[in-house]
Amino acid sequence: MLSKDGHLSDVHVSDQEMLLAVDGELSTRRAADVRAHLAACWGCRARMAEIEATIADFARTHRQTLDPQLPPIAGPRALLRARLAETASKREVGSWWILHFTSASRAAALLCAAVLIAAMVGRILANQSTLRGTSSIGAAFEPSALPDSRLTPGATRRVSITDVCSMAHEEVVGEVSTPLRHEVFREYGIVNAHPEDYEVDYLIAPGLGGAEDIHNLWPEPYTSRTWNAHVKDALEERLHDMVCGGQLDLSTAQRDIAADWIAAYKKYFHTDRPLVLHSRLESVNVVGVGGVQPAPRQAQ
Amino acid sequence: MPPADSINGLSFPTVADAALAGNPSEIEREVIELFEQFRDPLLRYALSLGIPVHDAEEVIQEVFLSLFRHLQLRRSRKNLRGWIFRVAHNLALKKLFANQRSHAKTTSDWTIAEEPFDPSPGPEEQLSSAQRRHRLLAVVHALPEADQGCLRLRAEGLRYREIAAVLGISLGAVSISLTRSLARLIRADGR
Repeated sequence: MLSKDGHLSDVHVSDQEMLLAVDGELSTRRAADVRAHLAACWGCRARMAEIEATIADFARTHRQTLDPQLPPIAGPRALLRARLAETASKREVGSWWILHFTSASRAAALLCAAVLIAAMVGRILANQSTLRGTSSIGAAFEPSALPDSRLTPGATRRVSITDVCSMAHEEVVGEVSTPLRHEVFREYGIVNAHPEDYEVDYLIAPGLGGAEDIHNLWPEPYTSRTWNAHVKDALEERLHDMVCGGQLDLSTAQRDIAADWIAAYKKYFHTDRPLVLHSRLESVNVVGVGGVQPAPRQAQ
Repeated sequence: MPPADSINGLSFPTVADAALAGNPSEIEREVIELFEQFRDPLLRYALSLGIPVHDAEEVIQEVFLSLFRHLQLRRSRKNLRGWIFRVAHNLALKKLFANQRSHAKTTSDWTIAEEPFDPSPGPEEQLSSAQRRHRLLAVVHALPEADQGCLRLRAEGLRYREIAAVLGISLGAVSISLTRSLARLIRADGR
């Protein structure tokens, strides 16, 4: 091996480096050093040969034991084609408003519809005076899009990366029990809440290790908003993908979403506004809509 | 086809490339091509985790339906092979846990009895080869699951970075795991 000053070194190459070398995982310079050492060292070359022979044995055994069990691909491929066609047709129906957005006239029609919906919802909300109040957070912009950090700081359960990543994010969302929902409403000072008005949402999603704990739950109105539950769902999925992809550690994801999920969305999607595909139809309704603001509750 | 705008692997919809979202047949073709490319490696990997063939086939169908939705939603196309294996790994483990079939692993997985004999060598060489293989399989089965996963994913051609992403471990851990496993295999083989 070559030392830093360019002379042959007596230090032999470790098994780990040999393996990295044969797998093409070393830097060009380091790989050249290893090659130079192997050229000069019989012992290391013999060890390298053992490693390569074992890799070949393993690869051959892997294939020979499993390949006979593989059914022909034709059947599964035909099945997948049929399923893809079915999924595509469903999506076309469900996403007409996205797919046709490139048409200027349809976009204009959509905008008019959005303004109409905004006006109607605004009037409905204006009548719900009993639910109005002030919030200590984010008062200038969609206060209920964020929870009260004193009441809902976020809570996690003990999970490993394997636990978190062993299933898709959307498959680990549990139903919040009715008594706990009532307790959340009570803490937020919401009386006579109708189930259809609010979603009791997790601040740190269960798919990111969030706990079903009152400190991790808040009443999120179903009211159409820019920063709505659909946008938060997209953030949760993004963070889940990043955590499971090794791009982000779980504790950072939990901390960021608990501190300010809107700021986290902006950070991880590199945008100041929700992406069109993350907002649903109702999210267009952002102009002139009064918010459903819960009455303030006693801070604990 | 890569998205028009991409920052750090994130894709952003633009009016210019919105036509792609409205052209599922193109995405369908792409998904089928990827299926043809990766179905066998994924099936081998799922089988090696101890999942019966019909369940493994279903897992792979789910993987490619997820990929279809992933591409339709214009999400990142960075390292699709790694993405596909990661989703397959997650779904396969989920299926494994759901079915509680881990006890069936040794019967559906690497069993020496199911191996076809190579007709070219003589009987003694066949026996010796079978014995060596049997020994190798025994060593592999005795490895920690993460080490087995690293070996199998590497055997399917994944790079260390991809293996790290699939298994949720660090790059260094992949390297150490593979080195450790190979050292055990070499020792067992009496090399």
